[in-house]
This record gives sequence, C-alpha cells and structure tokens, in this order.
Amino acid sequence: MADLKITALHKYYGGVHAVRGINLEIPAGEFTVLVGQSGCGKSTLLRTIAGLEELDKGSIEIGGEVVHHLPPRDRDIAMVFQNYALYPYMKVFDNIAFGLRSRKTPKAEIGPKVDRAAGMLGIHHLLDRYPRQLSGGQLQRVAIGRAIVRNARLYLFDEPLSNLDAQLRDEMRGEIKRLHQELGKTMIYVTHDQIEAMTMADRIVLMRDGVIEQAGAPLDLFERPATKYVAGFLGSPSMNFVEARLVAHGGGLGTLLDDGTALPLPPSRSEKLSGRIDQSVILGLRPEHMNRAHPGESRSGLAHYAATIELLQPTGSRTYATFKLGGTDVVAELQPHDVTQINQKIELSIDMNRAVLVDPSTEKVL
Amino acid sequence: MRAAFADRNFKYLLIGPAIFVLLLIGVFPLVYLLIVSFQGITMTEVSTEFVGGRNYAQLFDDVRMWEALLHTVIFTAIALPIELLLGLAMAQLFLEKLPGRQIFIALLVLPVVVSPIVSGATWSLLFDHRFGPINQVIGWITGNDTAILWTIKPNLVYPAIIAAEIWQWTPFMFLLLLAALANVDKSQLEAASIDGAGWWRTFFRIVLPAIWPVMAIAILIRGLDLFRLFDIIWALTRGGPGTMTETISMFTYVKGFQQFETSYTAAVAFLVIILLSAVVMLALKRVELAR
Repeated sequence: MADLKITALHKYYGGVHAVRGINLEIPAGEFTVLVGQSGCGKSTLLRTIAGLEELDKGSIEIGGEVVHHLPPRDRDIAMVFQNYALYPYMKVFDNIAFGLRSRKTPKAEIGPKVDRAAGMLGIHHLLDRYPRQLSGGQLQRVAIGRAIVRNARLYLFDEPLSNLDAQLRDEMRGEIKRLHQELGKTMIYVTHDQIEAMTMADRIVLMRDGVIEQAGAPLDLFERPATKYVAGFLGSPSMNFVEARLVAHGGGLGTLLDDGTALPLPPSRSEKLSGRIDQSVILGLRPEHMNRAHPGESRSGLAHYAATIELLQPTGSRTYATFKLGGTDVVAELQPHDVTQINQKIELSIDMNRAVLVDPSTEKVL
Repeated sequence: MRAAFADRNFKYLLIGPAIFVLLLIGVFPLVYLLIVSFQGITMTEVSTEFVGGRNYAQLFDDVRMWEALLHTVIFTAIALPIELLLGLAMAQLFLEKLPGRQIFIALLVLPVVVSPIVSGATWSLLFDHRFGPINQVIGWITGNDTAILWTIKPNLVYPAIIAAEIWQWTPFMFLLLLAALANVDKSQLEAASIDGAGWWRTFFRIVLPAIWPVMAIAILIRGLDLFRLFDIIWALTRGGPGTMTETISMFTYVKGFQQFETSYTAAVAFLVIILLSAVVMLALKRVELAR
C-alpha cells in the first residue's frame, strides 16, 4: 500500500505555476529522492506534503488518510531543513526532545528516546551544548536527530546536505542511507545534486518545470532515460550531445556527424530505427563509454574515432579529456595515463551499444 | 628619547578632546549636582554655605516627594505592561501580509511623532467635560447628556492619563517589536509546527527568546521614559487634583523652578539618579543573563 499518495497536485506562487499536476505514489519504507534543478518545484512539492504550503488543486494522502487540509502537526511527519532550523536558545537535548514534549510524550520515555537517536548519529557528547557551539556537520546531525527521534510516518529531507562541505557531504550521505536501512521508514529526500540522488535513492523522481520528467530506480533512469533532459541531468560529467543524421551505413545504420564522421550503430539498434533514415537525431554519449581503443578489440557496436585532445582534467582515478566530435566539444572519461598532454592524438573506441539517440523535435529518447 | 616619548603619548593627545567633552557634559554636572545638594542654595538668597546632609534628611521626611515617587512607579507599572502587550499584539497582527500594510503602519506610528505636550493638550480637549468628544460619544451611547470630569475626579484621572500615555507610546513598542518579530527565523517556526508545537508553545519557546533582546531594550527605554513622565500629565492635570498625579519629575520641576529650592532639588535629583542607575544596572544584568 502506498504510504504517500499525491494526486493531480497543483501549486501557484502568485502568478507562477510552481507545481503543475503531480501524481506520485510512494510505497511504505521506500527512500525516494526528488531531484531537479533549482526552481523545478521539488522543494515546493516537499513543503506542500509537509503542510508548510497549501496546495491549490489535487490531494495528498498519507497512510490512506487525506491530509492536505490538516496543519503540519497533524500529518504525522518529521522534516529536516536545509538550514538546520535548530532552536538556538535550547540545548541539543532539548532541541531533539522538543517534538516529543510538544506531543506530550511521557517524561520517562523522552530521555531514552533522545539517547537512542543521539546514539544512532554519534552525537551523545553534544547533548549538553547549544547549537551555536556546533559545527555545520554536527548541526545537521542534530537536525536529523530531531526528526528521527519521533516515530513519524513520513520523513522529509529538504536539501539537508547542501550547506556542508564536500567531504562531510559524502559522509552524511552514507549516514542517512544507513539510517534509512536501520529505521525502515518512508523517506522523501529533495536535492539538486544528482550524485546524492543516484547514491541514496530507491527511486528517483526527476522533476522539471513543475512536472515529473521521469521516475524510477536510479540505474533505470541512468541507463534508460526517457528524455534528453534526464539523460543529461544524471551522470557526472554529464552526457555529451552531438547533432547527427541517421544514415545507412555498411548494411546497417549509422550516425553521420556534421564533420563527416560516421559512427556505425550496432545491428540490434538498427532495426528499430530503420524508419528514420535521413532524419536528424541528437547522439548522446556518456564520457565513460568512450575509451582508449585497444589493438585487436572487436566487440560489436564499437566505433573508432581518432581524437585530438584539447583539454585534460585529471582527477586521479580518472582523467577527463575534452576533444571535438562532429564540431562539438565532447568529454571522455579515460584512464589516468591514457593521455598525457594536450594536442595528443588518440584512437578512441566509442561504445555505440550504450549511445542514446534523441529526437531533436520532441527531445524524447528513441 | 624625546621622539619616542612623543610617539608613545600621541594617542592621548588624540583622545584628549573626546575625554574632555565627556567630562564636561557628563561628569562635571553630576559632581556639581552632588556639591550643590550639600549646600543651602535657594534662588531667593545669596548664601552658598554648606549645610551637610540637611537636604537629604529633609528628603526622607518629605511625604509629597515619596508620594510623587509612588505615583511615578504606579504609572510605570500600569502603562508599561499594557503598552508592551498591546504593541506585541499589534506587531503580531501586522506580521501577516495585508493590503495597505505600509499605510496602516505609518498611520499607527503617527502618535510617536507628536510632541508629548501637544498630545497632552489634545487629550485634555478630548477629555473636556463640556465640549470633549469623549463625553459626547459616551452621551450618544447612553442617551444622556454626559459631563464626566475626566481630569478632575480622583478615580478617573489615572485612567485618563494612562489612556493618553498608552495612545502615544504603544506604537513605539509596536514598531520595535514588529522589526524583532519579522526577524524571527521562519524555518524555526516551520520546524516547530512540524514538531507539533501549538501557538503558545511556539511563541514562548521560540519566538519570545528570539525577540527578547529587542524587547528588553524596548522595555528599558519605555520604562525610563515613563519614569520621567511629565508633559502629558502637565497638560492634562498639572499633577492634580491636589498632588494626586504628581510624578517625581514634576515634583522636581516644581521644587526647583517654582519654589526655587535649588539645593533641595539637587538632592531629589541625586536620589532619582541613584534609584534609576540601580534599576538600569539590574535590568541590563538580567538581559545579559537571559541571553
């Protein structure tokens, strides 16, 4: 049974139609990530679920009960805010206990509950401090503690990690995922960071301009994006898009780029696309699907291309190499020592099995 | 050596003028006041001989002075909480986005702009027992001709004065508290609403601690203002009937500038300074503790 059910939800901010007809069902115990660029309506959707914003049309059900007319306190939810929103005049213990006390939890239960939450987050030693005495990472732990101390039906996270530095963010990502596994609660997590979405989610709901662009398991979205937007949004560095034309090529199909380069498509894909010969397409190639060609390798669907490297960005484990493909700048993810200097010529093999072809008029993936 | 000496002491030269001005306008009058309070100066004689503690001894037997002090405390104790609560309620009301909010706030704040002596005079017209609109309106409601002696009847003068005082100075509280309330972190309020806190709990546990520093200062400013309450009462009752509404600052004024007992007035003034300093110091300490 769905723990959260959203039906045809609309939300306006003045003249701005921020959320435009969202339908969403979230099963109990699932970790769902709402992801999208800033302004796509993901935070608004979350705040509407929480009851911090009123919806204009549609309905929200939590655990089978229609709740969108109820104030936040009666929706059985807990929430972690982006800027922590801790109560500055209370000690950490009281911050975590505030919700329990507000809900008239018996005194004898409060201490053990706070202890348990603090233990899960490793913040026992902070209970006696004030928020102003804590670092950003500690504040975020307390904010999470304040949410998980209560036995809520739904846990909402509004970009909780965006104020933390990169290292801490990696750490907290794992922490939150571990908490979800331990608690087994339904959680909805909003972020603009596709890495957070990919690593944490059971299911990603990718939003754009107030509607759901695509929803599904992270790898499904990554490997089978429905639109160009989804393909470009997930993955880092993001997918390369090159304008091309579908042509007949050596018995099958191929893509012909503006500079005359022809990249053959594997036979398995040719059949579906045969009706589109001579139409323009957008060829989407992920950086990790372009590798240095090894002599003698001959898997079906590998296209070879001699690239002149224009820019190198070594990260240590991988090196991002920029070169021109069909007149467009394209990034390939190579092994660290595949290329050593710019202007170097290198033979690349492009895995056309994994290439994404997009219809330029609808931006849908073919 | 000489150059080094000049270098080292140049800073004193720089702050010298400021210190001098401070001493001149701050410390000198205070010291001089203290000296005068031990003399026997009246404006009707030329004698400036020292009389020891005579003025202070006289102070403690002066029933009118103690009553004036009591009246001042009563005005403060009644008007201050009302102004605070009323100002807070209004600020809470105007926190919401309303059409014409700016205009309403500007209109509400007008009384603060009026000089207290003018507002006193205006209220004295309003309270006038024959021509005043207040009696007129009461007359319309009750259907009888009304001639209530607002500024004369002993049981009505306090309400009348306090009403005028509240009318004039509540907007001041309102303005400061509005600014303070507007600065309360919204996400904390949202967190509290999700945490299940009702309005009262949210107000006392989250809003009040957040606005307390500003509120404490507002209370202090208004408290001190009320302690030297003068103009409104002067315009309404001149301290009457009898000396029933005379405050300590009115008493000081009457003693010093109508009865010309200069040294005795200095003693009164010094007593007030001591009392007020003690109150302010205590108050500041409380504010700091609360932080």
